[in-house]
Amino acid sequence: MSEVLKVKEVKQQFYTRRGIYKALNGIELELRKGEVFGIAGESGSGKSTLGLTIMGLLPRNASVTSGSVLLDGKDVIAPLREYATKSNQKFNFRRNENVIKKMNRELSTIRGNKVAMVFQDPMTSLNPVLQVGYQVAETMLVHQPRTLAMRRLARANAKRSDLNEALKVLRATESDEKALEDFFRNKGLEGLTEQVISIWRRKDLADAKKEKMILSLHSEKLSWFDRFVLNAVKEKGNLPSWLSKTPILSRYTRRVLLKEGYLKALELLSTLEVPNADKVIRMYPHELSGGMRQRIVIAIALANNPELVIMDEPTSALDVTVQAQILELVRHLKVKFNTSFIFISHDLSVLSEVCDRIGIMYGGRIVEIAPTKEIFDNPMHPYTKFLIAAIPTLEEKEIQEIGGAVPDMRFPPSGCMFHPRCPYIMEICRERVPDMIQVSKDHYVACFLYSGDNK
Amino acid sequence: MQQETAEAGRWENLKLSISVFMANKSAVVGLIIVLVYLIDALIMQFDPMLLGIHHPDVLVPNFLNPVPLPPSPQHILGTTYPGIDLLTSILKAIRIDLAYSFFVVAVGASVGAVIGIVSAWASGMFDEVIMRITDIVFSIPYLILALAVGFILGRSLWHMSIALAITWWPLYARYARSQTLSTKEYTFIEAAKAAGVGRTTIMFRHILPNVLPPIFIQISLDLGSIMVIFSTLAFIGFIPSANIPELGYLTSLGLNFVQTAPWALIFPGLFITIFALAVNLLGDGLRDVIDPRRRG
Amino acid sequence: MIVAARRLTKYFQLKGTGIVGGGLSLKAVDDISIDIKEGSIVGVVGESGSGKSTLGRLLMALLQPTSGQVLFDIPDDVLAEYDKYIETNQADKCRKIEEEYSIFRSKGKAMKEMRKQMGMVFQDPYSSLDPRMRVEDIITEPMLATGYLDPEKARKRCLELLDEVGLPRDFAFRYPHELSGGQRQRVALARGISTLPKFLVLDEPTSALDVSVQAQILSLLKKIRSRYNISMLLITHNIAVIAYMADFVNVMYAGKVMESGVKRDVILNPTHPYTIALISAVPGRARMRQRIILQGDPPNLVFPPSGCRFHPRCPVAFELCGWTADEVATDLDYLVQGKYYTTFQGNTQVIPKDALSILIKGTNSIQLSEMIASEREKMRSLMSIANIKDTEEGVLISLSHFVTPKMYNLDNGKKVSCLLYSPEVMATQKGAISGN
Repeated sequence: MSEVLKVKEVKQQFYTRRGIYKALNGIELELRKGEVFGIAGESGSGKSTLGLTIMGLLPRNASVTSGSVLLDGKDVIAPLREYATKSNQKFNFRRNENVIKKMNRELSTIRGNKVAMVFQDPMTSLNPVLQVGYQVAETMLVHQPRTLAMRRLARANAKRSDLNEALKVLRATESDEKALEDFFRNKGLEGLTEQVISIWRRKDLADAKKEKMILSLHSEKLSWFDRFVLNAVKEKGNLPSWLSKTPILSRYTRRVLLKEGYLKALELLSTLEVPNADKVIRMYPHELSGGMRQRIVIAIALANNPELVIMDEPTSALDVTVQAQILELVRHLKVKFNTSFIFISHDLSVLSEVCDRIGIMYGGRIVEIAPTKEIFDNPMHPYTKFLIAAIPTLEEKEIQEIGGAVPDMRFPPSGCMFHPRCPYIMEICRERVPDMIQVSKDHYVACFLYSGDNK
Repeated sequence: MQQETAEAGRWENLKLSISVFMANKSAVVGLIIVLVYLIDALIMQFDPMLLGIHHPDVLVPNFLNPVPLPPSPQHILGTTYPGIDLLTSILKAIRIDLAYSFFVVAVGASVGAVIGIVSAWASGMFDEVIMRITDIVFSIPYLILALAVGFILGRSLWHMSIALAITWWPLYARYARSQTLSTKEYTFIEAAKAAGVGRTTIMFRHILPNVLPPIFIQISLDLGSIMVIFSTLAFIGFIPSANIPELGYLTSLGLNFVQTAPWALIFPGLFITIFALAVNLLGDGLRDVIDPRRRG
Repeated sequence: MIVAARRLTKYFQLKGTGIVGGGLSLKAVDDISIDIKEGSIVGVVGESGSGKSTLGRLLMALLQPTSGQVLFDIPDDVLAEYDKYIETNQADKCRKIEEEYSIFRSKGKAMKEMRKQMGMVFQDPYSSLDPRMRVEDIITEPMLATGYLDPEKARKRCLELLDEVGLPRDFAFRYPHELSGGQRQRVALARGISTLPKFLVLDEPTSALDVSVQAQILSLLKKIRSRYNISMLLITHNIAVIAYMADFVNVMYAGKVMESGVKRDVILNPTHPYTIALISAVPGRARMRQRIILQGDPPNLVFPPSGCRFHPRCPVAFELCGWTADEVATDLDYLVQGKYYTTFQGNTQVIPKDALSILIKGTNSIQLSEMIASEREKMRSLMSIANIKDTEEGVLISLSHFVTPKMYNLDNGKKVSCLLYSPEVMATQKGAISGN
């Protein structure tokens, strides 16, 4: 099983005037390909910070004192850690900020491309003055102009007979996408694969209409200038700098790519089951409902087929019925895109619907990791048990109350972070940090109750 | 004992406020400069002899040697036409400029704030009418009004500052109104209504304490620009008589000698600019202190 | 009855720019009647924009209703009399009762007396406490404003209240920003119960809090209810919180109550299609299999759907529910241009003619009827098509008239605002429904 993301022993803290907040205290995490991993915890448990750290999206007062985040074979937070460990002198905001700025420049090729993030409030992550279609198109334009160029060129170069054959391939192999991909690659029309497939997959259209739409994807006219631009992008992977840097010319050259981006946005939105997608891409964020906005944000995140999408409370601002729509959508996307997701939420019942595995966070550590079913059927860590018991359900069960509050992370408790609130506290809990122990396949827990060294 | 912990809490709070302010280095510089100006003004008011100045209200010309002299041990900042020592006259002028600027801001702010808050609180037709009046007054350029006032009532520093105050209150009225409107939207106002608190009490107990601090910050920020405008008016000739120490007037005295004696123009101008800058820096620091988001 | 709302309606006038937009109003609460018995917790559940918070504010007299009444602490026999007068339209006799019990008619001293009897806890504990007041001043404010206690005694009671809500006494001298969300909500609760009111409105009291803190606040609320026998109106979007706390439930959608009744009946055995969908949408593994995913979003309340407000999203809507020509035309067009493209070859035109008829050019009635017959079950708007006939211009489709649902009483004491349960429909379709 290949890992998309490997988080090792990450310790992260924030310097503030009121003290140093130790937000993450040794996070261990491995994410498999195509899996949805849930992170649950109360506010202040560091779950959002974990998401931001993986993205490298940290403010200037954040310092990573140890650990690594391996994403796409690259250690995302290495520069920060090096700064924090190398310099023995006092933490310097400005210098740290420079390190972060440099890190951001390096990460800009990964962010939005290999890894994308969806935030709680869709309104703040969308630009209010741009059409939503443009915003989807722009992410593609920045990260994968080449894909866009290939798509457009393929449509210009393809002949009707190619598409007829493609349909034959699809029918003969019973919609085998791999076969179609090979077919187009042999013809030198790679860009057509996803266009054909996205039409083929649509459920709201009659087969005849789909076929007609697919058959229309050929010999589309292309001016000599646009063709020149697209060919250049196809070869170099990006716009030639003399074109993209010249003020007026750059607008003109980008146009053909942007237009293609809109088409891609349209495809994405219909995959995300947005009704009237062709109208929606021309709308502005404020014209859309909350659920629709969140779909757009998800579309932006998925635009470049990222390997990992981090969703930070994506449904918390939505109504239950709309939340149900979005959760259903995520379940479908998992199958369709083969992308890995990290789904962060304070609501375990939301996680239970979409996640393959769930990690419970408390005080900047993961205290239990297990497959979803296992977490609910056989919770082991006292905190997990309590978290499940505290959720009111429709079945009128008595909810369990636990005293105390999440610890002040400036002065975290010694040993196990949960010991001040734990009903099963033992002597050792105050003294030592419990290690993660494996209790069954895929089920890990960090608690002395199960470790055997509880004398 | 409970009182003690509360006191301790308040002290902690104050300490935090101070540390937030101190962290903003430029604000501290601003504060020091503003304090220097203030101290100078107070000395001039109460005991000018401390600085060896005999006549704090008038400029002392020296017609025997009217041509501006460059800075020298006798005249540290040099002199301006007609033989006026720049350092002492700037020290005198600061008091006058500060006093009149304070007057303009205080009158403008108190009139404006009252109108703005009442208008927002009353809402409806009253608010509509008041705000339209405010808009009309707001559209009068201060220069034209000052010209008119000077022409009708005669040129004097008082008339000048009244003209400025008249053109300045709408700014505060608008600001106070928008502050009040946003405060009115908070749930705690609704909670007070639900608790049975009367309208007037809500106004004094909930609205005012939340609206006034940002207005004070605005005042402190405006002091600098008012002083600039005030001296600009003096510079272009709104000064009634020839021997009033005023920074803009001092600048205008040096204007004719700009090629031969640049200091006569530069030094008074510099003192205006420094004050305006310092006030702005100070205001920024104060804003940090009252903004809970920046206290983190 | 501690609180009885009758035909309560609140339209928010929208400020239009000049002629455009003038006269538009947002129908936030539309014709709602609610009874709250002494000592009971009545839950109001609904999605954002369903008007549930507006309802809470109306019951607290924080807003003036467009029409309707809220009667406070009214003896049951007087209320029965009042209901009778409303039914028989005896306005003068109604007014007499209103003068004594209505919360909107009280002024000055009477109003203060009434405020003493009512309390409220708001959703956001960060904005509902004045940041420039100490906790002590916040908690004593209602006691002093209503003249419940003198300042000296109020301060003493403030300390007792802090004990009551589980906060240390020295919190009295702190400022709100020094407290956590849960602590603030406890302060807000202490303020709400400070005058020992008979009626407490809780507007989303836990939605801004973590689950663990929510559990603490909810059990605190239960404790307070059992100690003081305060009636509560619990407004929330979280139906599980209602399931845990309430005795009676009202399900709101788009400014109307869709279903109301005893909690157990409503939540474990929902009747209204919206309630069924809402309950099935509550996240959790157990309910995933029987989930009903509603299409679309809650409606715009400036132009609410005609007939039943839920009909555009309802999975079991039928011809009477309020379909308009525009809605049906959109769906027909979607089918004709999409799934049935082969049949119609894309050269049909769907034109809504007036409120209840649609003209379709470029096809014939046989093709259309076939399509409609096979899609009716899935696309509920097609249910409303009463007649299809060929004319010179094209095919003319006429829709059946719609009925606006009222609250219908069911056998088990529940009230449902769904036409499926109207006496007329029940009589004609009895067999078909019980068959399901």
